[in-house]
Amino acid sequence: MRFVWISALKDLRILRRDPFSVLTWVGIPLCIGLLIHLVFGGSGGQAKPQGLLLVADQDDTFVSRMLAGAFGSDQLGKMFTVEKVDAAEGRARIDRGDGSALLVIPKGLQDALLNSRPYRLRLFTNAGQRILPKIAEETLQGMVDGAFYLQRVAGDQLRGLDSGREPSEADVVLRAIQTRRLAMDMRRYLSPPLIELETTVVEEAHSASTANFFFPNMIFLALLLMANGLSTDIWKERTQGTLRRLAMSPASIAAFLAGRLAMVALVYGAVGLTAVAAAKYLAGVTVVNLAAAAGWAALSGTVFYLLLLPLAVFSSGQRGADVRGNLLVFPLAMAGGCFFPFEVMPDWLARIGRWTPNGLAVVQFKDVLLGSVHPAHLAAVMAGLAAAGLLAYWLALRGLRGAFLR
Amino acid sequence: MIEVEQLRKSFGELTAVDGVSFSARPGEIFGLLGPNGAGKTTTIGCISGLLTPTAGHVRVMGHDAVHDGPAAREALGVAPQEIALYEDLSAIENLSFWGGAQRMRNPLLKQRIQEVLEITGLQDRAREPVKRFSGGMKRRLNLACAIVHSPKVLLLDEPTVGVDPQSRVRLLELVRSEAQAGRCVLYTTHYMEEAETLCDQLAIMDHGKLIAAGTLSELRSMLAERDLLRFSGVFAPAAARTAVERVEGVEVLQADEGLLILSLAEASRKLPAIFAALAAARADVRGTTLTQPSLESLFIRLTGKELRE
Repeated sequence: MRFVWISALKDLRILRRDPFSVLTWVGIPLCIGLLIHLVFGGSGGQAKPQGLLLVADQDDTFVSRMLAGAFGSDQLGKMFTVEKVDAAEGRARIDRGDGSALLVIPKGLQDALLNSRPYRLRLFTNAGQRILPKIAEETLQGMVDGAFYLQRVAGDQLRGLDSGREPSEADVVLRAIQTRRLAMDMRRYLSPPLIELETTVVEEAHSASTANFFFPNMIFLALLLMANGLSTDIWKERTQGTLRRLAMSPASIAAFLAGRLAMVALVYGAVGLTAVAAAKYLAGVTVVNLAAAAGWAALSGTVFYLLLLPLAVFSSGQRGADVRGNLLVFPLAMAGGCFFPFEVMPDWLARIGRWTPNGLAVVQFKDVLLGSVHPAHLAAVMAGLAAAGLLAYWLALRGLRGAFLR
Repeated sequence: MIEVEQLRKSFGELTAVDGVSFSARPGEIFGLLGPNGAGKTTTIGCISGLLTPTAGHVRVMGHDAVHDGPAAREALGVAPQEIALYEDLSAIENLSFWGGAQRMRNPLLKQRIQEVLEITGLQDRAREPVKRFSGGMKRRLNLACAIVHSPKVLLLDEPTVGVDPQSRVRLLELVRSEAQAGRCVLYTTHYMEEAETLCDQLAIMDHGKLIAAGTLSELRSMLAERDLLRFSGVFAPAAARTAVERVEGVEVLQADEGLLILSLAEASRKLPAIFAALAAARADVRGTTLTQPSLESLFIRLTGKELRE
């Protein structure tokens, strides 16, 4: 046990003599924090993505203007800028990728709504964007559904108002009586309502902001790359002959490796803490428990190091170890939600990626950031990662005691 | 004390050490000589526990190197042929790490670090990173790390390779003083003069086998006062060999296109006859060297080649 500390101290001293490496490691998350800050502006985590909705309104009636205007009001207004265009120009722009979506409202929308006639709205979405076109599509689908039910329930009243002339006082009285009867009929459904909508208002502080959206994959990409660099460092021990010399002493290689692991965990702890603090205070990322988030980053990073270590040990040289490490790290990062968040990945790839070691860790990290951890789930993931790490430690140890020394 | 009995180590088809036996006693410097690939480093690897012998036994201070490895290694101090140091750490930090690896604790460790720094003449540069040291200083520190825990047995694998004459003298003095302090020293070297002046017992290895062993005087007596005569030039090896073997008492140790090495008694008296024989064999002699009986001439006589090959 004492030699674990001696070995860790030796590695920390070497690290102290190489401040550039330390600065690079700490600098990566600081750069990430700064980038998030620059990309998403000083508003920090509250910034929303901005999309451009092109609207070609060929109907140009009260109803069509109301429909287009809906995208420019309230929360949707913060996400979309609505620009009126003619259909041909809109189509050309959306083909060029200039805009999130093009909504074409052909002539006859108001007439169709008031007289229960079939009608088709047309939406062209930008294939290069995933989130905003989807929001536009779903919002529009909601509006179409609402119009259908309005037609079913109050179609007669609506049609009555569309006679084309000024209604007489008798018409107004008649519509008033019809509307009252309709309300009385609906009352048994609505008061008390048989169909309820349960709405949960998520507190603002816990909402997933865009910075929160991108921060976990950025930090975990940095952790993976660090693990790759740290794991191939074992070749320095091999080439400078210190590992062979150690094998000729009474000290155990297991303790030596455990000491190295302790150093790696400490480095990851420092980098994790810097990254999470930078993200919280520079970019406004929601971090409910800073220590827990930094701790999870440190644990995950240490496991990544362990998983890559046998790959380095069983390589034919440092260059081979680098190549093998890169061959594993980049696909893992790509599938495991470190380059792109799972939310923007194809479903099949996201399903696979969530089961990679970094994918499992990223998902839990997001929950740790937002304070919405399920303890049982977290414990299961932690146990799984620890088991994989222990297996990798055993494999690396076998390699270090065997051919690696010769 | 080191006891090696019928040691054999194979790597697949290749047998690197084949039935080697010797023993080295406390206070004695035991020299292991041999050309590259003779099996010296493999023998040291088996003694130090780095390699597991295929057959035979190795005991260090009575502890079996395989079955009682940690106890055997605790008695050992090893200075490997390659300089095995952490170049980013200072001399003190290296000594502290390797002392810790040998289970030393403070304050004894701190005291020994100061002692070995003084012995090796590194105290003035003790806090500098090793990467700023000269080759000779690194060699001295490499040896200092091997003796920091005052081991009973020292394994020194070519500890003076590539060092300046001043550092070499200092290193050899250090090895002598370690032996005088009662340690058993196993010393491998390429330098014959080192072996001659330093070692009490010598063993010569070639192709994994021990081909001669004994004190320096015992080994010299094997030469029977024969000189070593070297010719350089251009030769037809077979013709040159046949021609000089006709001269009485001449033994050809090596004959190739550029070098001819002969072993003979009273060489200066037989030189004219040898030159005549070589001229008849159409040899173009460009240089001649006569060496009096020495360990080197014995080595060449036993192995058929020079030590640095």
